[in-house]
Amino acid sequence: MADVKPSAAKGASSHKIGIQAQFGAWFAHHQLVAVETLVKLLANPAAALLTWLVVAIALTLPGALWMTLDNMEQLSGRFQASGRITLYLSPAADIEQGQALSDRIAALDDVRQTEFIDADQALDDFRHNSGLQQALDFLPDNPLPAVILVEPPLGIEARQVEQLVEQLGSYQIVDSVQLDMAWVERLLAMLALGERLIWVLGVLLALAILLVVGNTVRLAIAARVDEIRVTKLVGGTNAYVRRPFLYTGLWYGLVGGLLAWILLATCWLLLSGPVDELAQLYGSGFELKPLSAAAAMVLLLSAMILGWLGAWWSVARHLDQIEP
Amino acid sequence: MANPDVMVRFDRVSKRYSSPGTQGGGKEALSSVNFELQRGEFAFLTGHSGAGKSTLLKLMMLMERPSRGQVIIDGQNLARLRPSQVPFHRRKVGVVFQNHQLLFDRSVFDNVALPLQIAGFTPAEAGRRVRAALDSVGLLGMEKRNPIELSGGEQQRVGIARAVVNKPPLLLADEPTGNLDPELSEEIMKLFTRFQQVGVTVLIATHDIALIERMGHRRLILDQGSMVQGQLQEGVYG
Repeated sequence: MADVKPSAAKGASSHKIGIQAQFGAWFAHHQLVAVETLVKLLANPAAALLTWLVVAIALTLPGALWMTLDNMEQLSGRFQASGRITLYLSPAADIEQGQALSDRIAALDDVRQTEFIDADQALDDFRHNSGLQQALDFLPDNPLPAVILVEPPLGIEARQVEQLVEQLGSYQIVDSVQLDMAWVERLLAMLALGERLIWVLGVLLALAILLVVGNTVRLAIAARVDEIRVTKLVGGTNAYVRRPFLYTGLWYGLVGGLLAWILLATCWLLLSGPVDELAQLYGSGFELKPLSAAAAMVLLLSAMILGWLGAWWSVARHLDQIEP
Repeated sequence: MANPDVMVRFDRVSKRYSSPGTQGGGKEALSSVNFELQRGEFAFLTGHSGAGKSTLLKLMMLMERPSRGQVIIDGQNLARLRPSQVPFHRRKVGVVFQNHQLLFDRSVFDNVALPLQIAGFTPAEAGRRVRAALDSVGLLGMEKRNPIELSGGEQQRVGIARAVVNKPPLLLADEPTGNLDPELSEEIMKLFTRFQQVGVTVLIATHDIALIERMGHRRLILDQGSMVQGQLQEGVYG
């Protein structure tokens, strides 16, 4: 019933703060510093603009390359008009059988048209085109097989073409099926090379971002030496002193990443019209895809991480040297 | 064994600054200094310029490390503190600098609030304490001003408010009245006395002899790095 009086010493005793309150204050300080550093940057954008632009351009280059490759993969996934399937028939098959098969194949879903060339016609064509007339006259028999040329429709998926090839090969009188996919393979090889190029370029430009943000943060540290000294004198930990600079790096990365995204979107807007026209002239359904949302997120995230790392690198090198 | 009544203890502390030009280091800034301050004691540290006053204060703040000997504050041997523990030691020691070390890019309030923000106080609690500290130095109405607009005496009082806002058990001051006229000096000293009355241990480095004599507290006198008054004799610590 009596009042419970706190037994703790009064007056100058230093105040102890609970873990929870301390975490709350830590979190509040993060928020405060995050907002403060952003406001500081935005209040004087002229000073930060150069760094933002360097970060933006360094990100736009690999970003644009990535966008190009992503779009070219679209190409490789499609079977274009240049691709034809050639069926070589067995010598045992006669002209009627060949013509009948050709008509059957023409009726398939994934086939636009077929052309039957019997063995004699093939020899004739070859005689005219090759200039080996005399040599061929010595042959006792016609060595050429009858051929069915199969043309799939435009814009068919490569996967469907493969299925078609398998199906065509299963006919009894078909000896072999030849598909001209060399250009697709070359394209895939080029894409692989391009991908490697993105990595090399990306690593170099990431290094550039680290250096640029690091240098900007170094200047910021130099401008605030007094503040750092006083903060350390009244008991600021290294983490506390570091915090505003790390956030500054984060914001440099984020704003630079946003600018890079805007640049890429502008590139897309400028190019998609002409690319559509070109694709139409080639009779292709190809269209330039913009950066996907996921890719844009990756871009922003890596920009922020790079900015933060650049700041960390600079802070680690310079901040600990400033002692009161 | 550490005596819980002792706030500060210097045990045969020497400090030699290594200067690159001279072989074997420069001259000793402090040589074999022994003294103790009791909890709640008020003492002056005097001596000519260059006698080692600032060095002695810096050792207590861990702005410097002793070349030999041990500094023990509030039962803690400073030599045993890891670098990561140094900030937490500094939070227990309030310091008033001759050039007050205020930050002119923020208000008086924010200057005084800095140690609280660092220590993790909530803004509400920090605000309450900052106003209490500013009230105790008579600057309550000036919290929104920039310290650059204030007079030398007012700036010094802002520095004192910042030093005591976290209620440290030990308060150090390095020439706190160096640039002030006698009346202002008197006023500042009264402030320090008030802190001592609530249990703070106060050590003030000054060469203002007249002031010291008027105040009549214990005196520690340094001469050429040696403590010529206030020194505990060897063998006192069994």
